[in-house]
Amino acid sequence: MGLFKPSGAAKVSVTPEVVRPRQTVTATVTADKAIDKVSAATLEWGYTNFYRYRWAGRADSTAVQMNDSWWMLGEVGTDAGSEKDVDDWVGVTKVELPVASGQFTGGSSSFTVPSWAPGSSDMLARWSARLTIERGGRDVDTRGDFTVVIGRDNIEFDDEPPARTGGDGKTDIEIVLPSLVFRAGESINGHLILTPHVDMSDAELSIHWGQRQISHPLVRTPAAGGGGARGDTIKLGKGIPLRNGTPVTVPFAVPLPEDAPPTGTAVHSTLLWFLEATLMYSKWTQGIEQVRRQIAVFNAS
Amino acid sequence: MTAVPPDTNEPPPPQRGLTREERGRDVSEAQAEVEAETSKVQQYLKAMSPRYVLSMAEGYPVVIKQFLQFCLIIIYPAWVFAVLVGAAMHLLFYVTVYPVLWLLFWPVRAWQKKNNPEEYEATRQKFAKK
Repeated sequence: MGLFKPSGAAKVSVTPEVVRPRQTVTATVTADKAIDKVSAATLEWGYTNFYRYRWAGRADSTAVQMNDSWWMLGEVGTDAGSEKDVDDWVGVTKVELPVASGQFTGGSSSFTVPSWAPGSSDMLARWSARLTIERGGRDVDTRGDFTVVIGRDNIEFDDEPPARTGGDGKTDIEIVLPSLVFRAGESINGHLILTPHVDMSDAELSIHWGQRQISHPLVRTPAAGGGGARGDTIKLGKGIPLRNGTPVTVPFAVPLPEDAPPTGTAVHSTLLWFLEATLMYSKWTQGIEQVRRQIAVFNAS
Repeated sequence: MTAVPPDTNEPPPPQRGLTREERGRDVSEAQAEVEAETSKVQQYLKAMSPRYVLSMAEGYPVVIKQFLQFCLIIIYPAWVFAVLVGAAMHLLFYVTVYPVLWLLFWPVRAWQKKNNPEEYEATRQKFAKK
């Protein structure tokens, strides 16, 4: 008789919907009618971590190495598509909800978002309260989402030494910033100091922001490239003279997007932000210089 | 009805995984053995073993792995032939080109031995058979 009788459905709602780390959220579980034959009802607080991983074979096997040889240059090769996007649930706190004589009618739970919480974004994590009800019939698995925004005081950021990502350092590029932590939508105002060590040809200078997702899964094989994005190239000047002994200072303003995902570290991936300045010598044989400086981005207003 | 987490203190951050650089090279056991082999002859012989060839399909999901191993078995004679040709080229180089270069760079080495004896010895040690 009860075989096809639908059991009640549960709904999880979380208030407030937007929180910062160290603040408390409350999930309220409501069942439109009592759910029966329940053995356990668990509410788990945590996040869904988005990352990339390598699914296809060993990353450094002979087959892959042969694929990387020079005569395969420009070919798609046999290793294309060996990495893919995936998400995994990371539980933080588990709470047992009350079940009275096999009946579940609802419940609630509070959770203080930990200080180390990665900010919510579709590049890193989606926070939720996840309800799982084990029962005699079909189990219930539902969740209520909430957004964790990161404030300036939630960011722990160690100044990474600037890295040269291109060129041979004939001209040193220093990215000078008033601070290393910026809010989404803010304009980063700073200046570049170009110090040529020998007489070089005139320079064309540009700068852009970039973000990089680093894959470090617990079990799966990490992807070589985690993914990322970069902003528009902002041209700062052409024909900048580079003579030995005369450093040049060029101011810049880089606007960050309004919806910029915040810097953060989760279990399986990390999201980094950086500024990258590129200098092109007008004499093409002299090539380019490129310098990257890591910054941190938060998104709470 | 309110359930409160038993511990009101903040839970510790869960342990994160390792990046590709932190993990080191991702190779099969058979391949690691070949790479660790110091004798070139042994290395070529081990590279011809079916175990090594089949290990190239390691790490793939089930079914795909068996299909790849099936393909690898089909190309196995070609693989053995390719490794033999590679070994022959290797040998040929040491019989023909290498002695010529050795003779050509004799004065350079003699000069280095006379003027930078310590550096010369260090380089010799670096390339000496272990």
